[in-house]
Amino acid sequence: MSSDDTSPAALPEPVEDVHGDERWMSQHTRFVQECKDAEPDVLFVGDSMIQLMLQHDIWRELFSPLHALNFGIGGDTTCNVLWRLQNGELDNIKPKVVVLWVGTNNHLHTAEQVAEGILAVARLLTSRLPRAKVIIMGLLPRGERPNPLREKNAAVNVLLRARLPAPGPITLLDASGGFLQPDGALSQRDMFDFLHLTAAGYAAVSKPLSELLLQILEETPEERRLPLV
Amino acid sequence: MSAGDSNPAATPTPCEDIQGDGRWMSLHNRFVSDSKDKEPDVLFVGDSLVQLMHQFGVWRELFSPLHALNFGIGGDATQHVLWRLSNGELDNISPKVVVLWVGTNNHGHSAEQICGGLLAIVQVIKNKLPLARTLVLGLLPRGKLPNPLRERNTQVNQLVAEAVSSLPHASFFSVDPGFVHCNGSISHQDMYDYLHLTPQAYQAVCQPLHGHLKSMLDKPTEI
Ligand SMILES: [Ca+2]
Repeated sequence: MSSDDTSPAALPEPVEDVHGDERWMSQHTRFVQECKDAEPDVLFVGDSMIQLMLQHDIWRELFSPLHALNFGIGGDTTCNVLWRLQNGELDNIKPKVVVLWVGTNNHLHTAEQVAEGILAVARLLTSRLPRAKVIIMGLLPRGERPNPLREKNAAVNVLLRARLPAPGPITLLDASGGFLQPDGALSQRDMFDFLHLTAAGYAAVSKPLSELLLQILEETPEERRLPLV
Repeated sequence: MSAGDSNPAATPTPCEDIQGDGRWMSLHNRFVSDSKDKEPDVLFVGDSLVQLMHQFGVWRELFSPLHALNFGIGGDATQHVLWRLSNGELDNISPKVVVLWVGTNNHGHSAEQICGGLLAIVQVIKNKLPLARTLVLGLLPRGKLPNPLRERNTQVNQLVAEAVSSLPHASFFSVDPGFVHCNGSISHQDMYDYLHLTPQAYQAVCQPLHGHLKSMLDKPTEI
């Protein structure tokens, strides 16, 4: 862990309250409180991609029934999520699966650094929750037309795939495939501002995610009842 | 225009593409081209509070039937909306009512500057659409607990309400159903991040707004 070879995206950091209404810390404090009252089987943590999911019907349809908590904060980077998880958001809970979706806001970092940051969060999760599985959601394309941030996000997904030999406690779910149209454009039907998902965009991503979650939850040791022969 | 020139909130400014994916300009261009084949009676313009309204059931339920268009962009401040409306977004349409909801993102600006920015937008709308009326929505409180931005937003509302009261083509409409509880806190059931509205809170905001818009559309222009 010498600081020379640690990715800057793997350094925990709270969000500075530049605007003066302390919204970020208020949300973090609420999540820590929720840990004391809830016994989630699934924890969703990340940025606005996670946060906005909670505002759509798909959350109540597919994820609430799995006993899921949502710790998404808009604008968060891997550094911010690391800080939150090291400062109370994992206390008192033992989810069986954690869905991690963060990295598209790491504007100061290279693809290599972002991938390291995401893996650092995932490793923190598996060390704090040794029996849990982690699903890393691959980063989605962004921007109406091809642009450097799209290339960076795609490169992050390639790096993650290469560094996560299956099978293991950490799985990559890359749902980015269906979003680009043949001419390279993103549709506002999927991403209303060419970054955040519409209800239709969430439906497309949530189907494979929900299937994977159900599969993992069925396989968890607690649930397994081997027949006596 | 000398007052406007010295007020950054009233100086038309495109949003700088710091991140490099061109999303803001893509949205603006999309609005301009969308407006070419639409004949909206109502135009909503503003920041994420306008933009996210479009993503929930409340839009289809209450505003689509009024023939409404939504030109909201997350993060926009008054100077950005001023630039957009001065650069094509009003050139192909003639809505009867423009709903303007922006100002909470004007970080670093005083309440007076934000009010000046809103009045500059009202003036651009009057120049481009002489027959339309502008409904300026009040800024909402923000932050879980009392804080300076809440106070500033309240102050903006007082200044704007007073300023537009003498304008025949503009009016002010408060849409806060009472988001601040008696202990001074705002619930995440209403504002999930203490700024943006949940679908439930959009219902509370939009029901009275819808009634008000219907009465404006039914009534001939006030003179
Ligand atoms: Ca008036």
